Amino acid sequence: MTKYHPDTRLLNEYSSGTLALAQSVCVSLHLNYCEQCRRAHQQLQQLGSVLFEELAPQQVDDSLLRTVMGRLDDEPEPLSYSSTAVEDDDCPPLIQRLMKGDYRNLEWKKLSSQVRVSRLRTGDAVNEVALYHINAGASIPKHTHHGTELTLVLEGAFSDEEGRYEAGDFVMRDASQQHTPTATQERDCICIGVLDAPIKFTDWKYRMVNPFLKLQAS
Amino acid sequence: MADSAGQNTGGRREDEWSVCLQTVAQTQDKQEFAKLFKHFAPLIKAFALNGSALAAAHAEELVQEVMIKVWQKATAYNPHKAAASTWIYTIARNCRTDMYRRLQKFDTPISADDIWPEGESDEMFVAVQQKRDATRIREMLQDLPHEQCQILMKVYMEGKSHSEVAEELDLPLGTVKSRVRLAMKKLQLTAER
Repeated sequence: MTKYHPDTRLLNEYSSGTLALAQSVCVSLHLNYCEQCRRAHQQLQQLGSVLFEELAPQQVDDSLLRTVMGRLDDEPEPLSYSSTAVEDDDCPPLIQRLMKGDYRNLEWKKLSSQVRVSRLRTGDAVNEVALYHINAGASIPKHTHHGTELTLVLEGAFSDEEGRYEAGDFVMRDASQQHTPTATQERDCICIGVLDAPIKFTDWKYRMVNPFLKLQAS
Repeated sequence: MADSAGQNTGGRREDEWSVCLQTVAQTQDKQEFAKLFKHFAPLIKAFALNGSALAAAHAEELVQEVMIKVWQKATAYNPHKAAASTWIYTIARNCRTDMYRRLQKFDTPISADDIWPEGESDEMFVAVQQKRDATRIREMLQDLPHEQCQILMKVYMEGKSHSEVAEELDLPLGTVKSRVRLAMKKLQLTAER
């Protein structure tokens, strides 16, 4: 059971398709773990479809119907569905697609001796998506954000000043909140983070790193 | 809320299109498909025109793309899970999102179908629940204050984020957020938190 969920704004923006790709990935991954949010999303899709039916219909030319009818036999191959539902401990297929493989195939960069980061290419030019691997018991140095940070726990668990987060938990932090995420003692923690602006370390010994933490969205 | 005059006959209309879509799935009947087209293509076009300028400029292309997907995917349609209108709306939303990214030369390994997975639950009670949701939402939307409804239209039909809506209506972001929350509450949606 997940305890931390995306808020009303994020869910509405996700379901309506207005949320940026990178953030949508994070919400979508949460839905894999969370029955309650899947249900909320279903309802919001219903809302969308009711609004859709209320639109004032726009005149469509008969020639368009003929064009479409003419194309029906052209492309007979059915489109395959890719299910992204996950078993408890598996790596979600959506992440696998972004990683082009497994956690082991990734190129990890050391952020400290205990924390590694691997950036994922989503095509989103504004938001950075990265996987963080925090060794058991280790912390990401205390930091704040210029923008908003979304985090979803994929494996293990971490805690910060405000709670303890396990697989599937969804955490949103903004510029006003500084925190020190720490992996639990039992095992390493892997989470996916989405940033719309670089994070800023507040601890003096890491401050010198700040200028190097340019956002690497791709 | 603009009421599409004379067309709204409640739940029956929805069932009619769900039956029609099922027939298309089972028999590949092109005449039935043409009926679906005549009803939904004008709505999909409206949906495209409501969207970004980029989507609006490609409205007819979107209509084509969505309707061909409807034809191709029809066998995957499960009337117990969703009404035809909901199913077609989600395809239109996915296509509009993908089209927007494509037109912006947004190079990504992820498509809209990855972002919004099909609900995998086949359970009957889910189906019953969803029908109930749709009926309730349709009814209660009529009584929703204009200021809340307007924002939902902008988010869902025009594809605008809450901040974009706030800017356009010259409202603080907090006001937009709280109106959406109020709307969720009125419509009894669990996304209200």
